[in-house]
Amino acid sequence: MKARILNLGLRRRYEQVVGALRQDLYRYALWLSRDPQAAEDIVQESLLRAWRGFDSLEDAGKAKPWLVTIVRREFLRFRERQREETMDPAVVAEIAEDEADPRVQELRTAIFGLEETYREPLALQVLMGHSTDEIAEIMGLTQGAVLTRLHRARDKLKQAFVEDGIAVQVETG
Amino acid sequence: MSRLTQEERRQREAIVADDAQFDALLEAAFRVPVPEKAPAKRPGGSRWPALVAVAATMVLAAGAWFGLRTVDPVHAVSPLGPDIIAHINHEPAALAVSARTVPEAEFGDVLQRGGASLGGPIGRVSYAKLCPFRGQMVAHFVVQGEQGPVTVMLLPDEESSAPATIDEDGFKGTIVPLDGGGSMAVVGQPDEDLEVIRDRLLQAVRWKL
Repeated sequence: MKARILNLGLRRRYEQVVGALRQDLYRYALWLSRDPQAAEDIVQESLLRAWRGFDSLEDAGKAKPWLVTIVRREFLRFRERQREETMDPAVVAEIAEDEADPRVQELRTAIFGLEETYREPLALQVLMGHSTDEIAEIMGLTQGAVLTRLHRARDKLKQAFVEDGIAVQVETG
Repeated sequence: MSRLTQEERRQREAIVADDAQFDALLEAAFRVPVPEKAPAKRPGGSRWPALVAVAATMVLAAGAWFGLRTVDPVHAVSPLGPDIIAHINHEPAALAVSARTVPEAEFGDVLQRGGASLGGPIGRVSYAKLCPFRGQMVAHFVVQGEQGPVTVMLLPDEESSAPATIDEDGFKGTIVPLDGGGSMAVVGQPDEDLEVIRDRLLQAVRWKL
């Protein structure tokens, strides 16, 4: 009986934590995979894993980096199994165009074109709000390496933004 | 040929020179729309194990713990009983003898909006609606028993730590805790064998997180 009640409390806490982050976890998975279907799959599997391990999360304040790490690992598993490039330029264009401001559309396209080494730390910083310290821990990098990547990522995007046409080509490999 | 006019280019140079402005645009770019439902699988391509598709719902199976347990024959009377019976009496159409079968999609929609799904068959459903109950919207449906309609209500926010009975106004039933939280009310005619229906439902009902 006690176990039932504890389980109920755990479920409520899980719903609270995950409910607040679910959308951004999907976005993070999308920026990693550049594939909406893969992003859905990755998040669903990640949330299942998160539920199974939720009672091990002692500090609710660390829920975000904990969940981000689970999504990241799940993406890496996904990529290992992926046999062919799945990024569809038409899908990328559709996502970019789902925005009224043409400047944002262009930036979105340019971000899709960034190499993963730049795209991921930028997503962790701008989208997920992580500090460079946290990004370093999540990605297994030094803080210096994270700062360099963030700087280069912004430089590339700024260049694309002011130059004629989107300078950063959508990388398909 | 230049895509941007000189004026546009000047404006953009001003934006990239201002970190706050540029980051605001960048954040908007990262906030891609999030689909409400999982997008349809692409034709021809199972790129991910079936396990993941199954994992679309967090499986908090109702379960086995209850069905396999030796049940204490003396159950407490549920304090929710009067509210549940009042709700049933408030919707007499639900219990009207009906040959109607609620279409699967319609029933699925009610369950989804009520935070649940089914992992197995539960028999013919003749009524299904999302209803207000004690301040929450809950899935209320009717399955056909041997003696007539049996009302089922899935109550995600009603905590119950042990099975309890309902015996009100000519109805008999039970409220049982569901694994993962919340509870389920099963109410029918006094001579209905509710245990069979209850156990079938316990095997099938899953909460979606």
